[in-house]
Amino acid sequence: MFINILFKTFVITNLNKQIMNTNFNRVLTLFLVLVAQIFFAQQKSITGVVSDSSGPLPGVSVTIEGGTSGTETDFNGKYIIKASTGNILVFRYLGYKAVSKTVGNSNSINVSLKQDANVLDEIVVIGYGTTTKQSFTGTASVVSSENIDAKSVSNIAQALIGEASGVSVTRTNGRPGESATIRIRGFSSIEGNSDPLYVVDGIPFTGDINSINPNDIASTTILKDASATAIYGARGANGVVVLTTKRGKIGKSVIEFDFQTSMNRRTLPLYDLVDNEEQFMGLVYSGLKNSAELNGEADPSQFALDNLFADRGVAPLYNMWNVADGNALIDPSTGLVRSGVTRKYTPTNWADAGYRDGIRTEMNFKSSGGTEKTKHYFSLGYLNDEGFIANSNFDRYSTRLNVTTKPIDIIKISTNLDYSYSESNDATGYGGGNVTYMLDFIPTIYPLYLRDTDGAIVNNPNTGEPFYDFGDNRAGNARDFSSTYNGVGEAIYNINRTKKHNINGNINFVVDLLEGLTFESTYGVNVYSSVLDQTRNSLQGSQGVALGGTLFKRNITYMSQNFNQILRYNTKFGEDHNFDVLLAHESFVDTFEDFNLSKKGIVNLNPNAAGSPENYLDQNGVSTGSKNDSSLESYFTQANYNYDNKYYLTSTLRRDGSSRFLNNKWGTFWSVGAGWIVSEEDFLNSSDIVNYLKIKASYGVLGDQGNASFAGQGGFNIENLLGQPSLAPRPVVDPNITWETSNQFQTGVEFELFNGAIEADLDYYIKETSNLYVNKRLPPSTGDAIILTNDGELLNEGFEFNVTGNIVRSKDFRLSLTVNGEMFKNEITQMPIENATGNAKVVNIDGLYAQSLGSSIYDFYTKEWVGVNPENGDPQWTQHWVDENSDGEYTAGEGISDYMVYAAANPNSLIEERLTAVYSNATDKYVGKSAIPTVRGAFRLNTSYKNFTLSSQFAYSLGGFGYDSNYAVLMSNSKVGSTSYHTDIQNRWKNPGDVTDVPRLYSNENIRVNASSSRFITSSDYLSLNNIRLGYSIPTEYLSKVGLSSVNLWVSGDNLFLFTDRAGYNPTTSITGTSDRYTYNQISNYTLGVRIKF
Amino acid sequence: MKKIKYIITIIIAGVLLVSCNEDFLDQRPTSFLSFEDLAETALINPSIAEGNLRGIYNQLVTAGIGGTSAQEDFGHKSFDMISDLLSSDLAQVGARYNRFVALANLLSASDQTVNIPNYTAWRFYYRIINSANLIIASNGGNEAIPDSDEAKAIVGQAKTIRAFAYFYLTQYYAVKYDASAEILPLYINAGEPGKAKSTMGDIYDQIISDLNAAISLMDTFSRPNKASVDKNVAKGFLAYVYASMGQSDKNTLAKNLADDIINSGEFTMMNKDEVTGGFTQLSTPGWMWGFDITIANDLGLVSWHGFMDYYSYSYQAVGNYRGIDKGLYDQIDDNDIRKFQHGSPSGGWTPGAAPLIPARKFYNLDLVQFGQLPIEDDYVYMRVTEMYLLSAEMNAVEGNDAAAKIRLKQVLANRFDNAADYAYVDALTGQALVDEIVFQTKIEFIAEGKSYLLMKRRKLTNTRGSNHLNKVGTALSYDDPRLTFSIHQREITDNPNITEGNK
Repeated sequence: MFINILFKTFVITNLNKQIMNTNFNRVLTLFLVLVAQIFFAQQKSITGVVSDSSGPLPGVSVTIEGGTSGTETDFNGKYIIKASTGNILVFRYLGYKAVSKTVGNSNSINVSLKQDANVLDEIVVIGYGTTTKQSFTGTASVVSSENIDAKSVSNIAQALIGEASGVSVTRTNGRPGESATIRIRGFSSIEGNSDPLYVVDGIPFTGDINSINPNDIASTTILKDASATAIYGARGANGVVVLTTKRGKIGKSVIEFDFQTSMNRRTLPLYDLVDNEEQFMGLVYSGLKNSAELNGEADPSQFALDNLFADRGVAPLYNMWNVADGNALIDPSTGLVRSGVTRKYTPTNWADAGYRDGIRTEMNFKSSGGTEKTKHYFSLGYLNDEGFIANSNFDRYSTRLNVTTKPIDIIKISTNLDYSYSESNDATGYGGGNVTYMLDFIPTIYPLYLRDTDGAIVNNPNTGEPFYDFGDNRAGNARDFSSTYNGVGEAIYNINRTKKHNINGNINFVVDLLEGLTFESTYGVNVYSSVLDQTRNSLQGSQGVALGGTLFKRNITYMSQNFNQILRYNTKFGEDHNFDVLLAHESFVDTFEDFNLSKKGIVNLNPNAAGSPENYLDQNGVSTGSKNDSSLESYFTQANYNYDNKYYLTSTLRRDGSSRFLNNKWGTFWSVGAGWIVSEEDFLNSSDIVNYLKIKASYGVLGDQGNASFAGQGGFNIENLLGQPSLAPRPVVDPNITWETSNQFQTGVEFELFNGAIEADLDYYIKETSNLYVNKRLPPSTGDAIILTNDGELLNEGFEFNVTGNIVRSKDFRLSLTVNGEMFKNEITQMPIENATGNAKVVNIDGLYAQSLGSSIYDFYTKEWVGVNPENGDPQWTQHWVDENSDGEYTAGEGISDYMVYAAANPNSLIEERLTAVYSNATDKYVGKSAIPTVRGAFRLNTSYKNFTLSSQFAYSLGGFGYDSNYAVLMSNSKVGSTSYHTDIQNRWKNPGDVTDVPRLYSNENIRVNASSSRFITSSDYLSLNNIRLGYSIPTEYLSKVGLSSVNLWVSGDNLFLFTDRAGYNPTTSITGTSDRYTYNQISNYTLGVRIKF
Repeated sequence: MKKIKYIITIIIAGVLLVSCNEDFLDQRPTSFLSFEDLAETALINPSIAEGNLRGIYNQLVTAGIGGTSAQEDFGHKSFDMISDLLSSDLAQVGARYNRFVALANLLSASDQTVNIPNYTAWRFYYRIINSANLIIASNGGNEAIPDSDEAKAIVGQAKTIRAFAYFYLTQYYAVKYDASAEILPLYINAGEPGKAKSTMGDIYDQIISDLNAAISLMDTFSRPNKASVDKNVAKGFLAYVYASMGQSDKNTLAKNLADDIINSGEFTMMNKDEVTGGFTQLSTPGWMWGFDITIANDLGLVSWHGFMDYYSYSYQAVGNYRGIDKGLYDQIDDNDIRKFQHGSPSGGWTPGAAPLIPARKFYNLDLVQFGQLPIEDDYVYMRVTEMYLLSAEMNAVEGNDAAAKIRLKQVLANRFDNAADYAYVDALTGQALVDEIVFQTKIEFIAEGKSYLLMKRRKLTNTRGSNHLNKVGTALSYDDPRLTFSIHQREITDNPNITEGNK
């Protein structure tokens, strides 16, 4: 008997209306009118028990091959499923080999599963679904949750450091609660977006990654190649990080509790500064004397002594010695402080006062379980992470509820819902008062507390507390370093606090329509709202006091909504042909709004009132606010085919429309991928050496929509001229700006040898990005200096490896070493067009780097340092020149300022080279160094003995260079007293004939010695210990008596050491290895933890 | 009824692949006015179009408008301050915080890799030129004469601004007036790619033609406030332009224009009280052009007051002092009110004491150190006293000593109580008279951005007084290459039609 069923339209109108503004007149409706064939075959109930060597297995998935129906085993390992004779039941369980059984006459099928050491059937979560490692034609790195759990971090981004080859994670900021920058496979864009897309539980995640408790994450997959990411089309070009959160399993409820506490401190090396006050004054004298000599003062030494504690030198207030002036302090014959000079006081060490050991406490409670119909996972987490700067901390309360239910057989509904509240106090200070900048770089002579002329600390008469020295002494006696600021005082007295609420949730709805055909729809939201309060107190600090206390308050709200509809069909034909396909539509919209106000004149000094605008008398500047909307609409389809589980093919097509572009909104992206399981072939099937071998390749075209919300839309800034609207032109735009596209090819091999003793993944890729977003430099005389446009092409080519050697695998003792790494090159293959000539631009200079045909985007282009002239101590750089007047020698005006530009315009000129002591005469050129390393990655050494486990992770980089701008500041010739000196300054040129690399020291003369040049380009090679962890599991025999199922104890450490070319230089804090004075260095963390399962 | 053995699947799913409304992807900015939105807004509120012109006046005071995030980048007045320091009439006295110290030590202007002032001035004035070109283009172009008085006034103002910007570029980036020297690219149409340098003569022709056109276009224009330019401001600039050419006939033209402005009666020269009264109000009758700063402009440290007013939240307040050259100060007559403009503000006001900052010329009236934030005191760009002294100077240069003395004494009458104190002027003739007018111009306009123009047009050599931090006693000639800005490396690199600087 056949029943024909006409399918009605199932219209999800309400949701559509809300988020998509559906125009029903223009609805392109695909009515699927399907005829179901419900046939009376010999269907019956099959029951059985699934077990492994230790007993029944709950939660094993039981499906009918080629069909959509399925079930899971209960806590006793039992299952019941309707099937027909001849159907094949497939039993799958994570970590076990899948087993297939054909339904025969019996109504009972019991199965025993065997653990799969290879875990080749490991489920891999990919875009819009899951697959197995074997059948996946793309390249993805699956990061084990064990490795993530081992690290004491507050978010998943930080946890990914070193976990996958080709994935570079940079912690630009060590502040508690800060995220990290992730770059997958090199630098594929110049001005576009280079961040990967996050996908959480199937929904593109645009909220705050910090709101997701890493403890709730069940699996982390990083999708890298076109085959893997093309299904995300517009947003997939930079890779995708796919996270799924934990879900309950059928069976006994599990209750889990873990607690860990750590100490956060600052242990990574610092720059070696001149930290002795007398030595420092010797340098002040030296700088002043040399400048006086250069300026032709009659008696340079006397000039220096007279000005030592004066306007040209150090403010007299900071004379901390029992002497009247410079003449009494310095012995001109040695240039050093006279012996016998005593101090009035010794300045407080700023770092001792401002840094501390912070305590980090983390607690998580989880409960999960389920029946055949409903499964749940619930968690509650608390994190309190104190930074090493006084008053800096990050608190987070997080909760999650994930529920899956099947109200009727053919419908499954899942929800994931999390809420978190965080509060971060970030006592970083303002501008020059940045705490780490002041504490790490303040010249050693400056006191923390305000001192009177006798050197005694000045107390606030009202409170009795000492005044901090803000260095703004009213008689022009100001401190030359960060005058008007005191980082420690600001950290203690001022507020810089963000309170944030996050809600992320989605609801997923799956209907089995027919054999092999399902419909699925997911609606998800990311919402956050934050309030920032920044106050300057009215008691201490020049600006706060002058204005009577200030408040800057900022409110941000963000909401994104994502809604998709997916139709999936899978089938099998013939013996070995498996085919599945999906067809989908997705829409995304988000809104960012902010509002800011500034007030001054605080009244109520109760600290709780400091964040309340009504507690201030006056406006302090204008109130501002903005709103940004963007939307994205997509259609996509994917088809997978495999033959005999040996040959796999995947193809994907996606069309995206983005609101970010004015005229050219739509782009089409696609990929194809193929995999061949060579080890399934007869000739390898029985090999003892090769257990598994897969070869794969893919090609695809992906897009990126960049960072600008309204690229292509020019206009006017709205200003106010005496109450009348005043419209100032905004920078020029390219109205035709559109998608940046990247063509990606990759091939790879995965293999396992000697029964799993060696496992490896090797990948090679070529990624060519065209229609590059470039900030094309325009001649400033045209009225605009930069235009963002699509032009030029960039090639990335790389090799990635991930090799694990399971060195010892005995019952009690295991030892393994995993090494991953990437080697890549980056090359500009086509330059943008120069408007004035219509030809490709020769060079586009971008800070320390220049883009030109054949170079990488991170090749250093600057002036070339050639050391110090031994005759006079002057700095020397290379100047290129051309003998224009043919007199055989260099004449003023014959120099070349920009090598590439000149050489391109004058291809036949003979370019010569000489030394110059004048910085502005030196030629900008490629200096042969690149920020891109030869190889970088991480390695992990893990071992276990009985119940003890020891794991460690190291990261490394070799062959690259970074610009150490901190060192440049410490080697400066700017005004004495305005900067600290690196101890290398002691090697400076002093007398004719001195051979050294450090020029003669001056004060405010010869100031370009430390301007950008190859002098400060430093090897960015490093080796760091990211994480080490020693764990112990209490044997179960002791636990069962007290009703516990497991107890783990551990000690661990994060960021314990860093070896670099120069102590203090940390190339890991920026993607180019450039150091920065305002960086909050990474925290080193020492943890003690326990996890208990009931 | 027979029990149905097999469950009949009756779930019906419809699949709807919905395309969104076509405006789903149409998002427009709300934090600025896009071209589309401007067009739509103008249909409802036509007067919005005048906002384009007002935008230029805002650009003149915007922080960072020179294309950098440096604190010394705050629009037209930042270059007034820089040029004052280069002229040496304004001394960099305090070293604290090192702002402007290298510039005053003459290490910056000659280095084409240094942003301040070489990049910022170039970027700023050309940005203003581009804004003016856009307005002129949208009103029919350079040759068109609009029908309505409103449109004429708009084009007249835009042309004045364009000329103003080119004039300052010629002063800053060319060593001296030389009609045949190639100095600057000339753009009078919006949207042109990088051009080669034009000669100084061509640039001057354009400036003069723009200003003459502007004077005629604004003939009946009555400006809403003195943030806008008008006919008299255009005449003032034209007078400066002619005066800078060093030609006898041009001097006469300059003098006539200056006299025209004085005779128009629109302005009244600042009196003794006013020149020691703070320079805070655009409404001051002696001001010809300026900017009325309000809280809406959101200016703080990065502003002229942030560098000059001890009683604002400023560098001046932390000891990064700029004050009158000591040599000049010492020459000021003790009975001259301007003697009391300069001194030391710490521990009460002491006129004449180091660091000689003009804290009783420019000051927030509350007189609280660090006190003013945000900035609400106004900017002055041009005042009518300049026209008196320019008229006197041009007369003296052309040998009309009597006329020169009349103008000069009109100024001095407002600076002295007793005419006997400046009776010595009557005895001056020839070069001595010119020198006296030069001196009076210098001390009248300390820190107002006039000294550099004066230095170049009179080809002066200024000697640094004892209170400068650097180069004390050094005599600096107007054509010293360290005083003229360098075309920044960025332009040379990014403009294929310009390959070298001007020096």
